[in-house]
Amino acid sequence: MSLPLYYYLAITSIYILMTWALYLPYRVAHLHFMVVANMAISGYFGGYAATQWGWPFGLALLVGIAIGAFISFLVSFGIGDAPTFAVVIVGFTFIYITKTAIENWDVIGGTMGMFGIPVVKNLLLYVYIFVLITGFFIYRFDNSRLGRAASAKFVDRDLATSFGVNTKYLGMFLQTWAGAIGGACGVFYAFLMNSLFPDFFTFHIIGTTMTMLFLGGYTTLWGPLLAAPILWGLPLILPTGVASWKQIIYGIILIVILLLRPEGAVTRKFLRKLQVKLKLVKMA
Amino acid sequence: MKKILTISMILLLAAGFVWAAGEKEEAAAPAAAVAEEAFTVTEWEVPFLNCLTGPIASIGEYLQWGAERAAWEINQAGGINGVPVKVTGIDTAMSPETGTVEMAKLTETALVAMGPVPEPVIMAAMPIAVRSGLYSFTATTSFEYAEKFFPWSISWFSPTDEKLPPVVTAWAKKSPDIKNVVQFVENYGAWPGMAAAHVIGLEAAGVNVLDQIDVPSDAVAFGPLVVKALAENPDGIVFAANAEKVAKIILELQSRGWEDNSKLLVFSSADDGALYTTGGDNLNGVMIYNYVDPGLDTPRWQEFREAFKADHEGMEPFSLSPNYYDAVYMIKEAIENTGVTGDPSKLKEERILIRDYCNNVQNFQGLFFDWSNKDGVPLDKPLFLFQIENGQKVLVEKVIPSNK
Repeated sequence: MSLPLYYYLAITSIYILMTWALYLPYRVAHLHFMVVANMAISGYFGGYAATQWGWPFGLALLVGIAIGAFISFLVSFGIGDAPTFAVVIVGFTFIYITKTAIENWDVIGGTMGMFGIPVVKNLLLYVYIFVLITGFFIYRFDNSRLGRAASAKFVDRDLATSFGVNTKYLGMFLQTWAGAIGGACGVFYAFLMNSLFPDFFTFHIIGTTMTMLFLGGYTTLWGPLLAAPILWGLPLILPTGVASWKQIIYGIILIVILLLRPEGAVTRKFLRKLQVKLKLVKMA
Repeated sequence: MKKILTISMILLLAAGFVWAAGEKEEAAAPAAAVAEEAFTVTEWEVPFLNCLTGPIASIGEYLQWGAERAAWEINQAGGINGVPVKVTGIDTAMSPETGTVEMAKLTETALVAMGPVPEPVIMAAMPIAVRSGLYSFTATTSFEYAEKFFPWSISWFSPTDEKLPPVVTAWAKKSPDIKNVVQFVENYGAWPGMAAAHVIGLEAAGVNVLDQIDVPSDAVAFGPLVVKALAENPDGIVFAANAEKVAKIILELQSRGWEDNSKLLVFSSADDGALYTTGGDNLNGVMIYNYVDPGLDTPRWQEFREAFKADHEGMEPFSLSPNYYDAVYMIKEAIENTGVTGDPSKLKEERILIRDYCNNVQNFQGLFFDWSNKDGVPLDKPLFLFQIENGQKVLVEKVIPSNK
């Protein structure tokens, strides 16, 4: 496999995972940007563990996932059932705090960054296995009682509560799960880049993953699978003169999609229609 | 539906194993087959990983202009070994992810590269260049970043703690009544390291460093920071922060009674257009140091300067504009003096030839001065201490740090 294709696929997988990390809490109408902070914390942890303690990648990944989940779990006690605006503010705050802490902590490189994170053979395979496993569990969640409860809460929190949905526990569960995915992304990112810099984990990730989520479709897990490779890869294949306009192109695409298909390109209605067509084809 | 999904997942997993079996992290071998006849290069293409869009697009444009100016001059004079040279700007938009993919593309065919710019993209992309054996001119970053990727990168600057202290000492000695200094420092990249080097220079001059005032990267109001600084009763102030912030802090200092601008020293990284457009005449008398002297009176520099002004509505060249201009000339010299042919079948060997030549070039004739390298580090580049007058830098002293 050529090196450009390798990096394109690897970064696509990380964007898919990060978009799913936003998708899960958004099932209950939470824009949980704290996953970017989880990504940074676990990424730096993984890098430090590998370079200073000689930890293997697998161990760094497992502990990075656990750290992401744990931090999000703790925070979710306060925002598990909070209004969307509060969840957004908490997320932004954590990103600021994390970036400031990283910049002021010389042990992990400070403003200079962290160098020399080892190369992992077969990293691409590992990350896509993680994508498959995560996608499987998200699919099972979406088609479970919990998924239906999340949908009810998205529409009307009080109605969901009246149906017996524990909205706080549901929010906590989804935020913790999203934190775990964010943590995994951080470790994968660190071992892919082989170095870390504080500016790697800032608001540009939010902008990109939000675009992928809302363009691809925020009501199903398939939207990010479609949007991530296209939106991330588009500027790489456009001619240089056109690629420099990518922010405008993204904006136009976003506006068009929001006008024509507010729920994004891939919606549940679209999937149901597809399912029906496939059944008809099968019957024929 | 469930069956289709299950089968799809299994197929994807299988495809993943197949990919992994074939995947390589190292660069692909050079693509061209061995030619039976001697290879003839028709154009020397030098890719430049730059930021042509995004937050530092203006700086990227100045760097690109410098590189393309060098290519134009070389082509006017007949090219490199009679073959034209072309600088290709590759925009990373300051995205580390884009930088990795673009660098990965370059590792397959590029003889040599320039950039990346700035540090986040360097951090992401240079490990790929190192693993693939591609030499890249990191000509606008500090030694402390460039050295991490030696010998596949080159440093345009000496180690910070060796090159900066002498010029700060020279400033402090210009005003013997400076006994106590505070320093404004913005926590970004190599700037804290430069601030630490300033302290070395101040202490060498017998000056006491009272305090470091941290400048938040998102600061928009500087009153509290200035009050905190002035409460220490400093005789002098040193600035290691973003250009616009430095100008605003100086304006705030003056509004609170600071009078002697010669007791203010601005570091080189703040020497860009935003400093002068924000500070205006209020900067008159402020001291600043940098690596190039725009007042140099040589035909080559004056031609560069006039051409830059013509293309940028009369604006003086940005201090880093010449860096990639010199880089292109260094590449030219390396190709001509090492017999590099540009034959793709000899890519690996010729990359090493260029690398070794440039890392140890002797008496390279740069736009401003001549210098030599040892293992990728410049030996004898000067620094210049200036005083700002009417938006221009007036040379006060030339300082040559010794790091041979």
